[in-house]
Amino acid sequence: MTALVWIILLMTTATGAGVVFSREPRQQVLAIAANGLVLTLLFSVLQAPDVAFSELAVGTVALPLLFLVALTSIRTDRKDPP
Amino acid sequence: MTTHDRLDMTAGLPWCVAAWLLGVGLYGVATSRNYVHLVACLTVVQSATYVVLLCVGYRWGAGPPIFYAHPPGTPAVDPVVQALVLTDIVVGATVSALLLAMCVQLHKRKGTLDPERLRPMRQ
Amino acid sequence: MPRLRMVLFWCGVLLLIAPIAAVVCDMPRFGDHPLPYGDAINHDAPRDRHVSNTVSAVNFDYRGFDTLGEEFMLVCAVTGAVVLLRGSRGESVTAEPGTLPGRGLPGRSDAAVLISRLMGPFTLLFGFYVVLHATVTPGGGFQGGVVIASGLLLLFMGEGYRGWRRIMRTPWLDVCEGGGALLFALAGLAPMLTGSAFLQNILPYGKFRDMLSGGLMQIENAGVACAVMAGFSLVLLEFLEETREPEHDDT
Repeated sequence: MTALVWIILLMTTATGAGVVFSREPRQQVLAIAANGLVLTLLFSVLQAPDVAFSELAVGTVALPLLFLVALTSIRTDRKDPP
Repeated sequence: MTTHDRLDMTAGLPWCVAAWLLGVGLYGVATSRNYVHLVACLTVVQSATYVVLLCVGYRWGAGPPIFYAHPPGTPAVDPVVQALVLTDIVVGATVSALLLAMCVQLHKRKGTLDPERLRPMRQ
Repeated sequence: MPRLRMVLFWCGVLLLIAPIAAVVCDMPRFGDHPLPYGDAINHDAPRDRHVSNTVSAVNFDYRGFDTLGEEFMLVCAVTGAVVLLRGSRGESVTAEPGTLPGRGLPGRSDAAVLISRLMGPFTLLFGFYVVLHATVTPGGGFQGGVVIASGLLLLFMGEGYRGWRRIMRTPWLDVCEGGGALLFALAGLAPMLTGSAFLQNILPYGKFRDMLSGGLMQIENAGVACAVMAGFSLVLLEFLEETREPEHDDT
């Protein structure tokens, strides 16, 4: 159990940095989903099933989807600024 | 006590992880060249608070604070911090949505999402 | 200018690094310190409120006022996002999609339709299950609301824009969004009519480990579920409306 907490905490540092250092927002969507998944694992290891569930629904599904549709709507907006 | 030795190894690690997430997220905010990227960096900063809160409420060997399978009275972790984090995850996502809507509007008005190219804000 | 930003950033880092290091050194040992509040609630909630999920008990009972604030934050953020997105596009949300000027309908693949139609109802059912068992097992209005919203989105993907608009008028979601917050506020005000305090749990608590245990928590939970479900669906739908390609743009 101890080792598991330790490993997943280190994975959190890696995926958190992954979100920041993936500069292209379209790649970043996947990094956000990976970060959400690792945070879900961390919260379930920390005995917080409620929070893990919330993070699973929001962090790996809703938030990446939100970024994806926002990026698509930015991409489809080709109109030149006035 | 072997468990105690193992405790020592990880005693300070969660706080260091949270500090790292805060620092790396703020670095991303400072160096970002795209507002969508900046919003994602803000979510990393947010996750630092989740790590701190849940690790503060953790207790070695305790179960989840849900007394369905095991009877009330068995050791459990702190439900207060979990309730705080739980609501904030959901509300934080809608705040990110608000920021992304601002990004979409910005791109419509100015045609760019780069903070460096948005300097003439006064016009 | 970017150099100035980085200088400012590193100045901030230099200023903050010592206090942060001091805080990290002074933090209690991970997993090995007293938790007085948590223990008190873990002890009291199953006995006094007949609730087995003490996280929900904190959310809807012991710290219910805090959750009311969170609920209004959610409504404000969703309203802001919807106003920003809808404001530039016009308010014709109940119009038939074919009559919206200058908008085309992108096609969908058969595989996406099949998977969405298979998974949509199950996701909705699971969402309702999660909402209803808030006080018993892990789950509740916040998580269940997001699950229901993703189920509704699967319906959107399975049925397409026209089918979606036929079954789901956006004002219905707007009403759900505001009504959820209103329900929570009324659940707080109703006990005051009987002379009790704001948000005091006056309803019968029910049986321990029963789906309907918790009294007033069930109503607050339903309000939260409505607001979260409608909020997430609204925001995702408004973004999706933005992505519909204008026909006059051939790039």
